[in-house]
Amino acid sequence: MLYIKCPYCGIRAQTEFAYGGDATVKRPELNKEITDKEWDEFVYLRKSLRGKHLEFWHHISGCRQWFKVQRDTATHEIFKTLKPHEEL
Amino acid sequence: MKNISPLNNIHQLGQYGNFENKNDNELVKIKEIKNIFIYQVVQFKNSPKSELVIDNLVFPDVLQVKTNKEIRILWMGPNNWLVISDKNIKNELDNNFSINDFAVTDISHSRSIIELEGSNAKEVIKKGSPFNIENLAENNCCNTIFNGITITIDNIEQNKNKIRIISLRSFGESLYHSITDACLEFGYKAI
Repeated sequence: MLYIKCPYCGIRAQTEFAYGGDATVKRPELNKEITDKEWDEFVYLRKSLRGKHLEFWHHISGCRQWFKVQRDTATHEIFKTLKPHEEL
Repeated sequence: MKNISPLNNIHQLGQYGNFENKNDNELVKIKEIKNIFIYQVVQFKNSPKSELVIDNLVFPDVLQVKTNKEIRILWMGPNNWLVISDKNIKNELDNNFSINDFAVTDISHSRSIIELEGSNAKEVIKKGSPFNIENLAENNCCNTIFNGITITIDNIEQNKNKIRIISLRSFGESLYHSITDACLEFGYKAI
């Protein structure tokens, strides 16, 4: 089981959390003209990285806050957790 | 109108499980807390931050509880608190917290509260929750899970090992079964 440090509550078991996807994907700017291909890439295309990955997690059975986790997808080592507005 | 408590159908008074040849102090005591007022107070994201007070109680920080004889205020998350009171304090909350900056919701009928007491109360929690309850001091609270059910644990009194478990009303019966199952080994008394 993973232990994840919620930036708000502290270290908790993985079962309290829900995975929320890739945190590096940026939504296209509002009102900006974009092609169908760019939209398709934003909605569907994800990298399947081996190694350090920045992801969103939701402390769904805790403080119910979203936050970012930098995790190694191969070893599951967690390097850092950040509040959603914080950058690495 | 008469209120029907969430555990009305299953909380039957008596002694159960491995209770024989044990005195009252050794048993886990299970009690349903009912007829209590519960309010959720949420501060909006961009509202001005200031010290929040009700009934001379300052709203607590992370994992803390502030309490007096009638009110307990539990930290639920950033800008989110649960106010549990014996008396109806809706008007007081509405007067203190403007609707432009806060959402105050009466959720008295949408939660079930189980109170455990006894030397084995923490052992019962350990059976179903990954949270290290030994770190939970008196007047601390935390949100966690118990056998897959999202709960709030409120450590009422450390000396008596008195703990309250708050869950959504719809999960109340299921949680009660989970907890009483975990209590059978120690023997429990439903009071």
